[in-house]
Amino acid sequence: MRILGWFKYRSPFGMTFMFQRITGLILLFYLCLHLAYLTSLQEKELYEFFTSITVSKQFFIFDSLLILCGVFHGLNGLRIIIHELGFAHEHRRVVLIITGLLAVVAWLYGSYIMFLAIGD
Amino acid sequence: MIECDIAIVGTGLAGMRAGVEIAEKSRKVSVALISKTYPIRCHSVCAEGGSAAVLREGDSFELHEWDTVKGSDFLADQDVVEFFVRECPKEIIRLENWGCPWSRTADGKIAQRAFGGQSFPRTVFAADRTGFHEVHTLYERLLSYENVEFFNEFFLTNLAIADGRIQGISAIDLKNGDLEFFKAKAVILATGGAGRLYGFTTYSHQVTGDGIAIAYRCGIPLKDMEFMQFHPTGLIPSGILMTEACRGEGGYLRNRLGERFMQKYAPEKMELAPRDVVARAMWKEIIEGRGFESEHGPYIALDLTHLGEEKIEERLPMIREAAIKFAGVDPVEEPIPVKPVQHYTMGGIHTNMFTETPVKGLFAVGECACISIHGANRLGSNSTVECLVFGRVAGERALKFAENAKEPEIPKNFIKEEESRIYDKIGKGDENPHAIKKRLNEVMDTHLWIFRTGEGLKEALREIRELKRRYERVVISDSSRKFNVALLSTLEVGYLLDLAEVVAMGALLRTESRGAHYRLDYPARDDEHWLKHTLAYYTGKEPRFEYLPVTITKWKPVERKY
Amino acid sequence: MKFKIKRFNEKNGSYWQTFEVPVRTAMTVLDGLFYIRENLDNSLAFRASCRMGICGSCAVKINGKPRLACETQLSKFKEVKIEPLDNFAVIKDLVTEFEGFFAKHKKVKPYLINPKISYENPVEQIQTPKQLKAYYDFTLCIKCGACYSVCPAGATLESYLGPAALASAYRFNADSRDHGKEERLKIVSQPNGVWRCHSAMECSEVCPKQIEPAKAIQLLRRATLR
Repeated sequence: MRILGWFKYRSPFGMTFMFQRITGLILLFYLCLHLAYLTSLQEKELYEFFTSITVSKQFFIFDSLLILCGVFHGLNGLRIIIHELGFAHEHRRVVLIITGLLAVVAWLYGSYIMFLAIGD
Repeated sequence: MIECDIAIVGTGLAGMRAGVEIAEKSRKVSVALISKTYPIRCHSVCAEGGSAAVLREGDSFELHEWDTVKGSDFLADQDVVEFFVRECPKEIIRLENWGCPWSRTADGKIAQRAFGGQSFPRTVFAADRTGFHEVHTLYERLLSYENVEFFNEFFLTNLAIADGRIQGISAIDLKNGDLEFFKAKAVILATGGAGRLYGFTTYSHQVTGDGIAIAYRCGIPLKDMEFMQFHPTGLIPSGILMTEACRGEGGYLRNRLGERFMQKYAPEKMELAPRDVVARAMWKEIIEGRGFESEHGPYIALDLTHLGEEKIEERLPMIREAAIKFAGVDPVEEPIPVKPVQHYTMGGIHTNMFTETPVKGLFAVGECACISIHGANRLGSNSTVECLVFGRVAGERALKFAENAKEPEIPKNFIKEEESRIYDKIGKGDENPHAIKKRLNEVMDTHLWIFRTGEGLKEALREIRELKRRYERVVISDSSRKFNVALLSTLEVGYLLDLAEVVAMGALLRTESRGAHYRLDYPARDDEHWLKHTLAYYTGKEPRFEYLPVTITKWKPVERKY
Repeated sequence: MKFKIKRFNEKNGSYWQTFEVPVRTAMTVLDGLFYIRENLDNSLAFRASCRMGICGSCAVKINGKPRLACETQLSKFKEVKIEPLDNFAVIKDLVTEFEGFFAKHKKVKPYLINPKISYENPVEQIQTPKQLKAYYDFTLCIKCGACYSVCPAGATLESYLGPAALASAYRFNADSRDHGKEERLKIVSQPNGVWRCHSAMECSEVCPKQIEPAKAIQLLRRATLR
């Protein structure tokens, strides 16, 4: 079980590495669901049945978490790209904090828009 | 049984330099580099200050020779010193060519700095990690040769000698606990000093004089073992070395009254007098009550605060790191608490100037040997370069010997006897080997320290013999094979006890004060009776002593003043 | 102070053992380990040598993080939990197998390659302080294995060259005296080389000498792309 090596927490950076893997897997799972969802467009009743479950206040929490996963995965990916180009290794803590702050702002804003879109 | 042409035991600077020489000269000869640890874990990495070499205008070989001979209190063999100083520059440049990151002057040349007892600042350095970079450079260089094989974590137990020549060695493979035999045409011992005889010491934990003690038990004489160097500046409480470069770069030593007391003892050289002079002065200040008090005992202040942060960061970064980590003191802001600490073994296995021991095919080099360029007191930055210069010589000589030697043969009864000695005979009693070592350390730290007396030495000898009796009943409570540290440390203590006896007896017999050996009851140097090397032979009971004249060519002994 | 040590030997397998160690000021974890070996259990296996943070022998996991036992002060902790390094096979107690680690180091040709130098008649080469500074920090690696033990890429691929070896490759590539850059880039751009790194940055975080292996790897990547 060498893959357990991914999940040994040691530093904030190891932690973001681990979350990058986890959010990646979640997004992949979501993509599969999403494709299944789109297939249901061929049958109107099925589609309406799905939307009645997923577009609702009770389901909002999942939408919000999904946004968090997407935002984190994307922004953290950008952070890694900066370092992988060989830049800002000495300032990696600052870069990490900025990435974190940006992710929280983007997540809250995205969730707010989503919340408004759901309506009643 | 492992077969090789040349076996090198010990992979510090000297051993690895010998390996490079052999591999450079012959790609056919097989070389086994055998070491107790991994090569880059050797004690040579702890060398900090630098390596001396005559490189620039204004300096000369004669000056380096004179400094070395005067530093040695005229006990060095002058023909060897003459050869040595002429080889130093080449070795420094070779290391440079192999990638050693020497510190540089603004125009890109190798930089040099001042060290104790030098008439010209001739110490080449790589920040304050000189030994570390030298070791890594040599190790990396060795990785580029195909006929060199490393045997890591093999612990030397004995030398196979028959028909007056070396046939091979035996060593414990620590990883699986088996006794391995190496058949070799030539063997080079480069196993380091005997620093862990003492408790307060700069040495790494594994420096237990194994090679010296084994050679001694095999009948090879030990030379000048009573001369132990005390370095003036060991960090308290751990004894970690604060390099002489601290003073070379301009640091001061101060007592409790704030005085630069070296004015009294060496008005000309001040803090940069040779180590024996400075260490004695510091100890005297402490004894006379002018040291600082602390929970770890009295100390002297090593003051670098006037050098400024920039210089300390550039020239002494590791000293700063160590002082902060191990004593909680930042040298940029506060003086470092130090006191004299055991640092170097001037004596060792008796060799001639070609690193040859009395046994054919067996060579000894580095700190474990006494080729005698250090005499009674080594100058700072002469030891690392000694390893390089004579490591090369040992490699050259061993190669020549191996190329013309007959096929070696390890006697069958040697194998049998060695196996029963290691696995059956040792460790059936009830004495804790670590308790014996601890007591030995206390005895050495008390009676064989900077100031010695006849009474103290007799007492030490009595104690050491008592400890040897206790050692006969030692216990090894771990019977497993893999990485048996209990067996390892028990064997080490046995080696140390033999060496302690030689050191103490040699010191008791030498009724004079010379270099690092200072007798309160005989405070003067006595050239008439004692301008000679001590040779100690193993007899099974107490060592037998003989004496050997010192080779004097250019410099007649004169009064030694700094 | 309580020392909780993860032990291992062939007979008993792996188990935890607790020792009570008396503490004095300025005592390090290594001093504690020696106390145990000398007074409580002389079979306790661990590696140690210089006790001043320069030989690289004594890296172990202390309270979850790889550190050099010799330079870790006990005053930091209430109790200590000591384990062998991850990603290395355990031989006994805290002693792990390092042969593979050193073999990887050897693979990247970690020596100056310069066909022009002469062994018999060496000539001093010029290197300005600026050229020295370009690689000097990466020469400080003590090969303690801490970086490799936390590397998630090393955990999932045994043959991954790892942070220490790659940093060493960069050290020589950045040296103005070296002529072996192409050879080394060929080695490190193989599948088990620089492209295996996932920038978890753990190596740079745990390095007791504050080398930045992660940075060295990215700079090597840049060079391979040129």
